[in-house]
Amino acid sequence: MNIKAKTNAISWSFIAVAVIMICVFYFYPMIQALIMSFQSGTGTNLSFVGLDNYKRLLSDTSFLTALKNTSIYLIVQVPIMILLAMFISVLLNDKNLKLKGFFRTAIFLPAVTSLVAYSVIFKYLFGPDGLINTMLLKLHIVNAPIEWITDPFWAKITIIIAITWRWTGYNMIFYLSALQNIDNSIYEAARIDGASSFRQFRSITVPLLKPIILFTSITSTIGTLQLFDEVMNITKGGPGNATMTLSQYIYDLSFKYTPNFGYAATVSYAIVILIVIFSILQFKLAGDKNG
Amino acid sequence: MRKMMAVVLAGMIALTAACGTNNNTTDSGNAGGDNGGKETEKITIWAWDPNFNIKVLNLAKDTYGAENPDLDIEIIENAQNDIVSKLNTGMSSGTTKGLPNIVLIEDYRAQGFLQAYPDMFYPLNDTFKAEDFADYKLGPTSLDGKNYGLPFDSGVTGLYVRTDYLEQAGYTVDDVQNITWDKYIEIGKAVKEKTGKDWLSLDPNDLGIMRIMIQSAGAWYTDEDGKTPNIQNNPAIKESFETYKKLMDANIVKVHADWSQFVANNNSGAVGSVPTGNWFTPSITAAADQAGKWAVAPIPKLTNNADSINASNLGGSSWYVLNVPGKEAAAEFLGKTLGSNVDLYQTLITEVGAIGTYKPAAEGEAYKAANEFFAGQNIVQDFARWTAEIPNVNYGMHTYAIDDILKVELQNYLNGKSIDDVLADAQKQADSQIK
Repeated sequence: MNIKAKTNAISWSFIAVAVIMICVFYFYPMIQALIMSFQSGTGTNLSFVGLDNYKRLLSDTSFLTALKNTSIYLIVQVPIMILLAMFISVLLNDKNLKLKGFFRTAIFLPAVTSLVAYSVIFKYLFGPDGLINTMLLKLHIVNAPIEWITDPFWAKITIIIAITWRWTGYNMIFYLSALQNIDNSIYEAARIDGASSFRQFRSITVPLLKPIILFTSITSTIGTLQLFDEVMNITKGGPGNATMTLSQYIYDLSFKYTPNFGYAATVSYAIVILIVIFSILQFKLAGDKNG
Repeated sequence: MRKMMAVVLAGMIALTAACGTNNNTTDSGNAGGDNGGKETEKITIWAWDPNFNIKVLNLAKDTYGAENPDLDIEIIENAQNDIVSKLNTGMSSGTTKGLPNIVLIEDYRAQGFLQAYPDMFYPLNDTFKAEDFADYKLGPTSLDGKNYGLPFDSGVTGLYVRTDYLEQAGYTVDDVQNITWDKYIEIGKAVKEKTGKDWLSLDPNDLGIMRIMIQSAGAWYTDEDGKTPNIQNNPAIKESFETYKKLMDANIVKVHADWSQFVANNNSGAVGSVPTGNWFTPSITAAADQAGKWAVAPIPKLTNNADSINASNLGGSSWYVLNVPGKEAAAEFLGKTLGSNVDLYQTLITEVGAIGTYKPAAEGEAYKAANEFFAGQNIVQDFARWTAEIPNVNYGMHTYAIDDILKVELQNYLNGKSIDDVLADAQKQADSQIK
């Protein structure tokens, strides 16, 4: 063994433990799940069915509804949240703003609250006799209580409000840290050249934030595709399947119905495929090699 | 270098596998030792609902403990959903570590568990006499002629009504005895008109009331085999859908989104009646200020279905012994308490209000006592009588999967889709999903 090989062996031995852990706890389950996605049956009575599960996916109305709902959350909620986070972070980055720390903490705080606790509180806020309805009625904005949780349309809105409330502050933090890395002299130069605030935002801030925009939209996309807690705790996927997400469908297939773990694994692989497609798309759209 | 890595990796995997095998052997070794020796044994029991099932277990534990101090019984309260997920993960992974000895399972789910994990349950044929229990409980709890579940909570339904609201609307309790759902809606409209109160509280995401209606006609989501979906040409399902729509159209329904809102709607006097399972009694009596204002009548029956009767079931449950070390002790505990002890059932009635489905217990004194909260009505005897009439149906393995399909179609139906299309589409989905 020459010196190079020896150093190599030593360095490998350092990372060997981590590599083995990753293999055992990440890759092994992933491969197992892939194998399982070609099996079907109840509980432990699984048998190989080839591509049947994947064929079933395409004609499964519950899956398609879950996919549709998840896409609606994705298309409506992620852009709103990203823009909101960017907007708030620019406001909070203002040098002249007082109580900056307080506002930043207040907006970030939802991201560290317990998922279940906040979902339960949202359920009560938006309940038929909840605070929101009481307020809207008192202020004469509506005549009858809005069915926030029991109407298919409003239930989706409730979920979107809930996830926006929780995750905007989280994304804001990334933008804030990125904004602080932008050299102030660039803005000074722009001001001297007579650029308006909006022009500065459009031509300086947004382009320089591009890597962060890409990062937050990919993580938000992944988060939305895996959305589970809010829906499970606020609406249980209802009314009907109006708010059901893909992750919740996996839960139902594995635990609520007579379990079919094979088919549940197929649905989870469908999510994996979607995440890969969306991430590639976003990288392409961002059009930046450094992104 | 690559080769070396491969060797290291393979070695580690082999080691992990070996550890696994070793553990298993030690497990069974221990188990053998436990069964052989006559030391203090320990069993664990999982159940939900602290005011009902857990109280029952504690009373059974005290009764059994008085004569058999050697058995250490640990009762663990879990939400029902948690029990279902824990059982599924435990049983499908093939390790029985961490699973209880006795577990409560809802009747709707029982066949799913029994058929999905055939070796995981311990037959109880020698533990209790099946003929001593209500007939309709034996179908869901047994498989291939073996009884796996000790029937417990009857789930018999009744119509809880506010007598004061009825009187204001010009009716008496006699007017709600053995009525049809159409008559029920008619009375509800009168109550709403006279009192301004809604007639019942419903959750659009819970088809419980439809399951009550369907079973009252001796029908279910599936054929008698419990596997073939039977929706499209099922007159009981069709009429249940129509009845549900009539309820909603009559503008007598207050909507709730979860259990606590449901209980609140009833306890606050916002609604005049509750058609549900007898396990709801403790929630009704929790509003002590309403004592004397409630009565219980038989559940309404479907108006146009000749098979429908004024008795049905909603969400009963039974006890199961898992096929893990300690099963003999667990089975004996169940057999000597809830499987045969008439005196225990009298205590359960007086202290918990749990009726059970053990026929000989109905002869006891506690079953004959009047209930002051219900203005002296003997609700236990009434419920026990209706229990005997409940049509026996096979819930099969897919109740909740089909339930979810029907929920969606029910929304479509309420939004104007025709009933025939609704049922045809539900049938198609169920056919393709249930395999």
